[in-house]
Amino acid sequence: MPMFNWTIIGTWVAGFFTLSLFSFLYKDNPFYRFAEHVFAGLSAGYYIGLIYHSVILAQLVQPIEEHWAAAATGPDVGHHIMKVAFLLFAGFMGVLMFARFFPKVSWISRYPLAFVMGNTAGIELMSRLHGMVLPQMRATFVDLNASFGNVVLNLIILVGVLTTLIYFYFSKEHKGVLGVTARVGIWFIMIAFGAHFGYTVMARVSLLIGQVNFIFIDWLKIIS
Amino acid sequence: MNFWEKLGKLDRRLVYSMVAVTVIIPLFVPLNLPIDITPEARELYNSVEALPDSSVVLLTFDYYASTVAETEPMSIAVLNQLFRKNMKVITMTTIPLGGPTIAQNVMKMMAAKYGKKYGIDYVNLGYKANYTAVLKGMGVSIASIYPTDQNGTPLSQLPLMQHVKNYGDISYIFVVADNAILDYWISIVNAQYQIPIGAGTTAVMAPKYYSYVQSGQMTGLLGGMKGAAEYELLVHAKGKAVLGMNSQSMVHLLIIAFVILGNVALFTSRRKVHANV
Repeated sequence: MPMFNWTIIGTWVAGFFTLSLFSFLYKDNPFYRFAEHVFAGLSAGYYIGLIYHSVILAQLVQPIEEHWAAAATGPDVGHHIMKVAFLLFAGFMGVLMFARFFPKVSWISRYPLAFVMGNTAGIELMSRLHGMVLPQMRATFVDLNASFGNVVLNLIILVGVLTTLIYFYFSKEHKGVLGVTARVGIWFIMIAFGAHFGYTVMARVSLLIGQVNFIFIDWLKIIS
Repeated sequence: MNFWEKLGKLDRRLVYSMVAVTVIIPLFVPLNLPIDITPEARELYNSVEALPDSSVVLLTFDYYASTVAETEPMSIAVLNQLFRKNMKVITMTTIPLGGPTIAQNVMKMMAAKYGKKYGIDYVNLGYKANYTAVLKGMGVSIASIYPTDQNGTPLSQLPLMQHVKNYGDISYIFVVADNAILDYWISIVNAQYQIPIGAGTTAVMAPKYYSYVQSGQMTGLLGGMKGAAEYELLVHAKGKAVLGMNSQSMVHLLIIAFVILGNVALFTSRRKVHANV
């Protein structure tokens, strides 16, 4: 019985799909369409399988089974029963999300959604304030004991932050001092856009280089 | 129709072909263009180097398969440094599509290179859904979030995990990410548990995260393929990032030429229109 080398077969399949997707650069064609549809279908299937195993089984069914068994045999019965109750409640809330598919009872899905929104807002608010806003604000303070060069750089940061914030202040018409300051803010924003654009070009070229590397190194093995 | 007008109507497929040729040629004829090390990459390297040998480091594979050209060389480069220093490495991912497989393959390859044993020198926790809960929960108990590793082995059976209960037992977190999960590593884990964090990101993300290095919330940063190439040079293990930087530099020169020529063509055609009015 012949032995298949699945790595080689997988590499050739990946090579075929890479070229099929690149073929769109010439013009739309059946190979591109085929590769696009296979990718969409595979991703959906992979996600369903992954979520089933890593969420429904691993985070709901298995813990319920384990805590149920522990409650039946060991100490801390109350603790395990409570865990099972929490998990069943979470699972029930998850099932309620599907109510939105039934127009007559779709309003029920708002309850689990409200739970998720409240939970997320609480976590986000504190973590963003504590971990982002305050430390970033603190970083704009100018250290006057630093070297002359660093003081100048810190001042540039301070001016950049203040003028950019003023540009986004829309409660007063941008005229006079406010207008000039906002205009300086626009310059800082434009420089930031330029940096982002440069990095984006690098990122996209990197992806192309990655696939070209795959073709010549991993697939065709022309370059070692 | 003069030269500039013809240039303005150039077939885009010709532009694609020129980019493709510019990417391919340096792969066959290495130009060995210089790669300078940025202060952010050097600081990142130094912060990992300063850790005592055998420290426990958490390395994340928070990236999709689509960005491996930029991110995978970072993971490989830092693993060279970590395993050379005999660090204990715990890996995990919050990305479902590709993350678990990439982590498994890279760890297997690097462990074989340095003769590291699974469960003793490194552990792969795998993927877990709902990253906010995962990041917060691991601060209390890693085992409560990951009762088992990637292979389904209970953490209690892995020697390395006997001494690692939560973030308090981890010396450093190295995040390699291609998405905003890095925000949460900073705002939840660094801010609330004071664990030092360093990161490697895709080039698209990098400008945003330089401010976190400046504020001291991250010890250093690698931005895109250039950052990966810098780290490969720092750990003396040249790989695909260094190889790719030759093509990268040449394509950048080509794009700069395109931008200049395109603008000249635009202004020339505008002047002609104004002259005819």
